[in-house]
Amino acid sequence: MDSQIYEDLTPILKRARVVFILAAIVFGIVLFYYWKIQILDYKKYWGQAESNRTRDIVIPAPRAVVTDRNGAVILANSIASFKVSILRESTRNLEESLQRISPLLGLDVGVLRQRVAKYRTLPAFRPIVVMDNLSLENVSRIEGRRMDFPELVIEAEPKRFYPFTSFGAHVLGYMQELTPDDLRAAFKDRKVGDMAGKTGIEGAYDARLAGIDGKIVEVVDSLGRKRDELERVEPQQSPKLALTIDFDLQAKAEELLVGKEGAVVALDARTGGVLVMASSPTYDPNKFINRFTPEEWIELVKSPDNPLVNRAIQGQYSPGSIFKPAMALGALDLGIITDQTTFFCGGVAQFYERVYHCWYEPGHGALTLPEAIRQSCNIFFYNLGMRMKIDDIARYAGDLGLGQKTGVDIAGEKTGLVPSSDWKRRTQGATWFAGETISVAIGQGPLQVTPIQIAAMMGCIANRGTRLRPHLLLEEGAAPAASPGKAAIPASIFEKVIEGMWRSANMEGTGRGAKVEGFDVCGKTGSTQLIGRETSERLGIKKKTHSWFAGFAPRNDPRIAIAVLVERGGMGGETAAPLAGQVLKLYKDKYDRPGTTQGN
Amino acid sequence: MIDRVQLREIDWVLIGLLLANALIGVGLITSSSHYLSGNFAVRQMIWLLVSIVALFLTLSVDYKVLLGFSPYIYGFFILLLGSLLLFGGAVSGARSWLFSAAFFGGQPSELAKIGLILVLARIFSEFKRRTLSLPFGLLSAGATGLAFAVIGLQPDLGTAVSLVPILAGALVLAGLTRKTVVLLLVGTLAFGFVGWNFALKDYQKKRVMTLMNPGQDPRGAGYHVLQSKIAIGSGGLTGKGFMKGTQSRLRFLPARHTDFVFSVLGEEFGFLGVVFVFLAYFLFLARLFTSVPKSRDRAGTYLIFMVACLLTFQFLVNVMMIVGLFPVTGVPIPLLSYGGSSLLSTFLGVGLAVNVKMRRYVNV
Repeated sequence: MDSQIYEDLTPILKRARVVFILAAIVFGIVLFYYWKIQILDYKKYWGQAESNRTRDIVIPAPRAVVTDRNGAVILANSIASFKVSILRESTRNLEESLQRISPLLGLDVGVLRQRVAKYRTLPAFRPIVVMDNLSLENVSRIEGRRMDFPELVIEAEPKRFYPFTSFGAHVLGYMQELTPDDLRAAFKDRKVGDMAGKTGIEGAYDARLAGIDGKIVEVVDSLGRKRDELERVEPQQSPKLALTIDFDLQAKAEELLVGKEGAVVALDARTGGVLVMASSPTYDPNKFINRFTPEEWIELVKSPDNPLVNRAIQGQYSPGSIFKPAMALGALDLGIITDQTTFFCGGVAQFYERVYHCWYEPGHGALTLPEAIRQSCNIFFYNLGMRMKIDDIARYAGDLGLGQKTGVDIAGEKTGLVPSSDWKRRTQGATWFAGETISVAIGQGPLQVTPIQIAAMMGCIANRGTRLRPHLLLEEGAAPAASPGKAAIPASIFEKVIEGMWRSANMEGTGRGAKVEGFDVCGKTGSTQLIGRETSERLGIKKKTHSWFAGFAPRNDPRIAIAVLVERGGMGGETAAPLAGQVLKLYKDKYDRPGTTQGN
Repeated sequence: MIDRVQLREIDWVLIGLLLANALIGVGLITSSSHYLSGNFAVRQMIWLLVSIVALFLTLSVDYKVLLGFSPYIYGFFILLLGSLLLFGGAVSGARSWLFSAAFFGGQPSELAKIGLILVLARIFSEFKRRTLSLPFGLLSAGATGLAFAVIGLQPDLGTAVSLVPILAGALVLAGLTRKTVVLLLVGTLAFGFVGWNFALKDYQKKRVMTLMNPGQDPRGAGYHVLQSKIAIGSGGLTGKGFMKGTQSRLRFLPARHTDFVFSVLGEEFGFLGVVFVFLAYFLFLARLFTSVPKSRDRAGTYLIFMVACLLTFQFLVNVMMIVGLFPVTGVPIPLLSYGGSSLLSTFLGVGLAVNVKMRRYVNV
């Protein structure tokens, strides 16, 4: 029976058994060899293990140089510096070791403990930096006592250096030490304790600036002394990075903002390249590069005037009267008015049973659109607000780039806000009242813009509808950054508004302070109330308004678009316009010579 | 598909030993990779769960059915690996890795081993002569050679080499006459000697060496082996303690959690640890070998035996390699080294053995 169901496999099973027995014998022999290595030769290998360890030392790549648009002025550089780290695996007792190191470095034991605790999750063979920016004196002192402190290693580290201290601080950004959390998030190929760009250009182009670290593999003995070098890979610095920033213009703008709180943004009207991005107050990014001055950092963060905030892209303000060109464009495009339509300004007027004032109490009399822009008449624009729907206003404002990020290539940009009936329903669950449109018509109400949005809007108006994408990276030889499209308003309508803006600067309008001889500046001022007129009269407080100027030049073939905001600077014509005028004049003096053209 | 008797006949001891060794592996991977980023131990754990599920799923299919499909399974892997060569080779190595990762989350060549085992068992299932015949010898060698070529060219010579014990196991069972053995040995040696000394140029030899061991240091042969020996030797009798090895986590060992995971064991747990794992692994392999007769037919015998040969070969080659008793070939230890597809293919292989055993009674 069996032989029919089951095959006779006896011979092959015998062969299988032989193989098994052979395998078992090999097992035994191999195990015997392990016994020889681990028990008989234990001492020999233990000695070799102690004397024959390698250590990887990273040679950090110097960060790429950052220059201004002409490539000549270095805004950020790398300089040599030394840091000392503790190797926990070379300590017998960490606490004891910290106690001994403390007087050598002149650092409080508490500070040392904090440092080590912060990076305690790192494997013990990874050095933890305990002090950087060592003086040469300190370097030689520590090196001289190498035998007493085997747990300390000194490494050279190229350090970021900003030669013009706070120049362009908000554009360049700052660097900070990476924490384990950072590594999990964005900086996957970096190491804990590395310095990395956190904001601005340093943050946005961190990978490009960082370069490729080199390394040394060296054999060290159990005391951490170098015995041999096995391998050396030199670090690679990335090629320099040129920004669109114009050094002279930026310096001028920053100088003009000293002592004020505000921002200046100037764009190349043809390409969107940012010529100026200044924010005040400012700070010295060199301060962040030191790993060990938390006090200064906290001071900066806590400071009531927020020096770390880049007001140019993060400050959200009421636009005030600089919103009027947007209103005018909408009203013309909708056919609500023509450039011949006249409204009468008697200094005061009533809309929806409420009294509204013009900023000019005697009243402007009867005026057409260009004149209304020139004199920044409120009553004229209240009348437009009466006749326009909020959602139409929102559409035109959006078309001009308000209420959305401009897409500038550094992080942290704010969106601003353009109210609409939908927005009010969404956020407050209420319907929009026509009466609310009146204050929006002169750029008040819930409207919020950033200076860079306004500069981009000016660029759009200057180009008669072609929008700009502001950017800071100057790509040599590359075509101008792709334009984010064209506004859906015909060029002829832009001309009518531009006429008013030209008059504002050149015909004794509110923007006359920005006039530059021979440069045909077109612009608009704004003065935004921080509290309502009635409230201020009732309380008897005279609070200064935010001062705005926005414009471009020259009128035909425009090359520069600008937005200036000075917080509590008073009337736009009084502070912001002259400030813009000085920047524009410098631009003209620098570039407006026959045969000079600048791209990007 | 499974009746109660078959359920009763599932070899839980074998499965238990398999799991125990896999868990030892997770422990070793934890110790050898805790300072690396990548959560290797967690990933291995996940692969372990996947492998357990896969094992039990394959148990529900009679191995005879699998043998019936074996030419297709084998053919599928040959085509897949072949197309990887065409695709990836032309563009870049990364492409082929991506391609395979997308489909397998690992290396298809590991699973191809199981395909070869199945197809060889099918070939020899009807082979009833007492010694190997030339046509069968050529057919089985051809099937192995083809797989060897497509895997070796990936290039993954470590996996390709481990196809050899599969074929060897099958040939031994089929019966080798003394003449055949001598002929094979002389042929291999002559081929290797002539090839190495006359056909290959120096730079080609170097290339072959790097192929055999991609992580090998150009500074000198044996460097890694020396470092591995130092790590193991310095472990002594009791070792330096879990996760306390000093040698293994320095940069001596190119693949501390894969090929050199056993060195970490030697350093951190000493000779006692080595003996323990040898014992655990030996019990597992012994269980496999003693299962060889517990088959109802010839094909089943071949299956279990080839799996046993494969795992024994890989274990022995690895533990010999890391102490310099065998050239460095990049063969990982099944179950102990990190690697999802290797783990899966080991489980599937042992699954085949369990499959054969549980179906060894006819018409009960």
